[in-house]
Amino acid sequence: MSMTTYDSFGARARRFSPRLVLSELMMKQWFEPVIPFFVMIALWIAFSVVIRDYSSSENILSLLRLFAEFGFVALAMAFCLITGGIDLSVGAIFAVGNFSALFFLLVMEWPAGLAILATLAIGGAVGAMNGLLIGYLKARPFLTTLVTLIILRATVNLLNTHYATSFATNSTDSNVWDFLGSGNLFGLPVNAATLLIVLLIGHVFLSRSRYGWHLTAIGASRKAARHAGIRVNFMLFATYVLSGVLCAAGGVFYAARQTSTDSTTGVGWEFQALTAVVLGGVSLAGGKGTVWRAMIGALIVFSLTNGLVRSGVPGYVTSAIIGVLLLAAVGIDVKWSKNRGKVIQKTYVNPAYFELSPPPSVKSGDASPYAQNDRLIHAEAIGLDQVEGPEDVILDRQDRVYGSTRDGNIIRFSGPDLDQCEIFAHIGGRPLGMQFDQDENLIVAVAGMGVYGVKPDKTVYKITDETNRTWYKLNDDSRLRMADDLDIAPDGKIYFSDCTTRYEMTTNTLDILEARPNGRLVCYDPATKTTSTVINHFYFPNGICISHDGKSVLIASTSLCKIFRYWLEGPRKGQTEVLIDQLPGNPDNINRASDGTYWLALVGIRTPTFDLAMRKPDFRRRMVKEVPIDEWLAPGMNHGCVLKFTEDGRTLESFWDPTGVSHSTLTSMREHKGYLYLGGLENNRIGRVKLTGVDESWSGYEAYWGAKRRDRS
Amino acid sequence: MGFFDQFLRDMRQVVFRNSEQNAIPSMDGALSPNDKLDQCTPIGDPLPGLDDVIATPDGAVYASAGRRVYRLSGAGFSERAVVAEFDGDAGALALHPDGRLLVCVAGRGLAAVAQGGSAPRYLAAAGGRPLVGLTGVAAASDGVIYMTEGSVGRGSDAWMRDLMEKKKSGRILRCDSALESAIVLRDGLAWPNGLMVEAGGDAILYTEAWTHSVLRAQRQGAGIGASQPLARNLVGYPARIHPAGGSDLYLAFFGVRTHLIEFVLREDDFRDDMMRTVKPEYWLGPALSSQHDCLEPMQIGSIKALGIQKPWAPPRSYGLLVRMNAEGEIVESLHSRADGAYHGITAACSTPQGLVIASKGAGRLLLRGEERQ
Repeated sequence: MSMTTYDSFGARARRFSPRLVLSELMMKQWFEPVIPFFVMIALWIAFSVVIRDYSSSENILSLLRLFAEFGFVALAMAFCLITGGIDLSVGAIFAVGNFSALFFLLVMEWPAGLAILATLAIGGAVGAMNGLLIGYLKARPFLTTLVTLIILRATVNLLNTHYATSFATNSTDSNVWDFLGSGNLFGLPVNAATLLIVLLIGHVFLSRSRYGWHLTAIGASRKAARHAGIRVNFMLFATYVLSGVLCAAGGVFYAARQTSTDSTTGVGWEFQALTAVVLGGVSLAGGKGTVWRAMIGALIVFSLTNGLVRSGVPGYVTSAIIGVLLLAAVGIDVKWSKNRGKVIQKTYVNPAYFELSPPPSVKSGDASPYAQNDRLIHAEAIGLDQVEGPEDVILDRQDRVYGSTRDGNIIRFSGPDLDQCEIFAHIGGRPLGMQFDQDENLIVAVAGMGVYGVKPDKTVYKITDETNRTWYKLNDDSRLRMADDLDIAPDGKIYFSDCTTRYEMTTNTLDILEARPNGRLVCYDPATKTTSTVINHFYFPNGICISHDGKSVLIASTSLCKIFRYWLEGPRKGQTEVLIDQLPGNPDNINRASDGTYWLALVGIRTPTFDLAMRKPDFRRRMVKEVPIDEWLAPGMNHGCVLKFTEDGRTLESFWDPTGVSHSTLTSMREHKGYLYLGGLENNRIGRVKLTGVDESWSGYEAYWGAKRRDRS
Repeated sequence: MGFFDQFLRDMRQVVFRNSEQNAIPSMDGALSPNDKLDQCTPIGDPLPGLDDVIATPDGAVYASAGRRVYRLSGAGFSERAVVAEFDGDAGALALHPDGRLLVCVAGRGLAAVAQGGSAPRYLAAAGGRPLVGLTGVAAASDGVIYMTEGSVGRGSDAWMRDLMEKKKSGRILRCDSALESAIVLRDGLAWPNGLMVEAGGDAILYTEAWTHSVLRAQRQGAGIGASQPLARNLVGYPARIHPAGGSDLYLAFFGVRTHLIEFVLREDDFRDDMMRTVKPEYWLGPALSSQHDCLEPMQIGSIKALGIQKPWAPPRSYGLLVRMNAEGEIVESLHSRADGAYHGITAACSTPQGLVIASKGAGRLLLRGEERQ
């Protein structure tokens, strides 16, 4: 559900930013091979236009049959590259596989099944030789496999000349063999179908299995992988064995299809495979790549070779084109992997336009309820220089004061003069909003962690740290990024704000500057122990307060400078409406007041230049890029302001520290037994001022769970 | 500003590296920040509208503040007397070799006040344009008077709008000792904001605020030669220059450049809208002082942390006075940082009792005693 009352279709359309989509797309692993993917599609379309019947299903099937063997070889190469190595002997092993299959079948006259197994075993054995040298003897993969390539190639050529006549004269009538050569499986050529199955297994192996992760880890950093306890030697050995087996499998299919061998079988395939795999986006430096990328690259190289030959382009030109492609792919690979992070960083912040209504006057002496005064300047200080940034303050039934501080602590002051200071609990993260539940557990919203509870005996326990993911969002938003404030409904449900899903506590200024509805209202239901998002896409929701009658939630939107009401029950259940439209500043926490009204803290005051900047998204985008963080424009925050407003959204009065002498960045206030307690995000104290003409027996706990409840009248 | 304009701007930055946009130099070496201005002793009561201060040969100082020019003398400059009063704000001051006091009067022009209290003589126009906003005046030993005018037809208090409009219509003027035969020596300058005649009397030095530079021009008969920069790409917006003894000079900065202001100066569209819709006191630009008004622009680094305003926070206003040698090198600097009190320095002069500094932002004259130096 979105903020339909505020969000017109036009506003949303204007907010749509292709740059934002792009930056979020670029953070996705699967988006990396997007360029090769489209090149592949484009090649296909181009050849369909140039060559007759190219896109007919017969042609596609016959192309797939031709392609599959190369696919196996490319896959073998991809595995080696991902471990940070290279296997130049793939083409030669392929040729050996081709020869062996024919030899076992035609000369030894073994049954097809046995011949295939023996061929795969030979591939594995050759791979094991590579693997021994590279994995255990720490030989360089490039030279080792180059030597293997030369030796194998010479051997195959020798054997070929020796057995050529036997191959030509002998034949087999094995059905299995014929099926392998020309049969179909699931409507696909049998070799392509097998490749597909191998790819699926390879994908699961590489991306979901422990050993796949080990392979990638070794490629990313061999030393780190060793330090992490991965058996680097064995894994490398196994990879080259796998590579050998895959190449031999390609050789078997090739043998079944061609039933002949010559000195050109698999010549140059190592470079074609290398080109293909790098083109697809498997990094030459290792540690990055998927089987699909390898296949995309292989399809490009294959269709280019095949298509050019069929268009009548001479073979050497095709080779040259492939060479140039390899060069370009390697260059782009190096540049891209180096700069991808920077590109994301430069495009991630995407400010949106929005216009705020003109602010009411805050000029001192004006008739406005927001007029500045000095009612907070002389606030009594509690724990001066003992607390660091008490974002929220709350009092328990024993009149002790709690503050949530920036060092991850809940700090507690007790004693008649509130001068005994202790760390009540250490939660970690950045504790922000707090509330007591019926059992006097202190429920805390912790930025960077989620919602936590502290029992009266000081045990800390987790309540929730994730909610349901929005299915259409690219950014995974299931984690709670910055739980900000919370309140508890009479039925025990905890409503809390997660003010941004794109930034963190340390970068939440960017969210304000971006001015997009990145936040949400989330609800935790203790009865079912489930967490769900109530309002998605909210402009920096901050303060949360359940209304006195328990029928609605008040939500402060810091960037919109508005207060919203979300109905929990009654005829308007599920609807969101604007309660206060024009605030002179950025609202923070909301809390109940003793007389049935509400307190609201303004953390920032809107300045004319900041309001102007909000109407200039490009200005803000360039500012974020060109100006250092410390110099970014902000709302006025060196001032403290607390407001009191009624159930129907009328502001009654304000309490100010206009110069921020004692209370700047004022974020919260709590009324308790005739006093108003003040907390500030960046302040060095908790303050309190005496209120006059209020119910001096009223306290927050009583108003929620005790005698002062107003929801049962 | 469309995409294309931005692109052109970026290209200009690449091709013409040394044109108007230069990286702000960091304050290090002789410019290392300190609290020397805040350690100075304020002289007497505040002088609202304080602008210029000059030394007299007998050890006193003249200071212009509001519509008046004061003479301060005695130990610690505790004796204060009004020398002259005008119908416009008194600005830059200079002593003529013949003893007359030259005062730039807002809206009127240059006034020459003779001793004895007779009515001042005025130079009201030059080059066919009235002298509404003179910003600096100096007299050579041969009696010739030089003046700077910030922007033709614009009062000197409208400097902020001039900066935001990126105007270049300031002038350098000359007249004889009888305030006659005024001629325009140079025009099209980016807010010339003060000048002095070099110690030998061969050349004049003047500051140009919007280009952050001090320039030198040789005197050639009735005219001046081509301007040579003495110091360019300074850290702030220079105000007046006064001799500091020897060949050194005191250069005051009424504000310092910040990344955000430089950025805003590149954003034409934002500036236009700001000038149209926002009151000038809340504009994003240099200020003489911060009123701690919550509607003033604010920057992230200025947020008070644990009750403390960081001295190194990006300043809305700043106090900076430097001593510069004849080669244009800064030898000493006095600062009042973001958390300091004496911002918007417009002038300083040396006296036997020490250095007297005018902080226009605070409206205070400051004395930096010799024993402290």
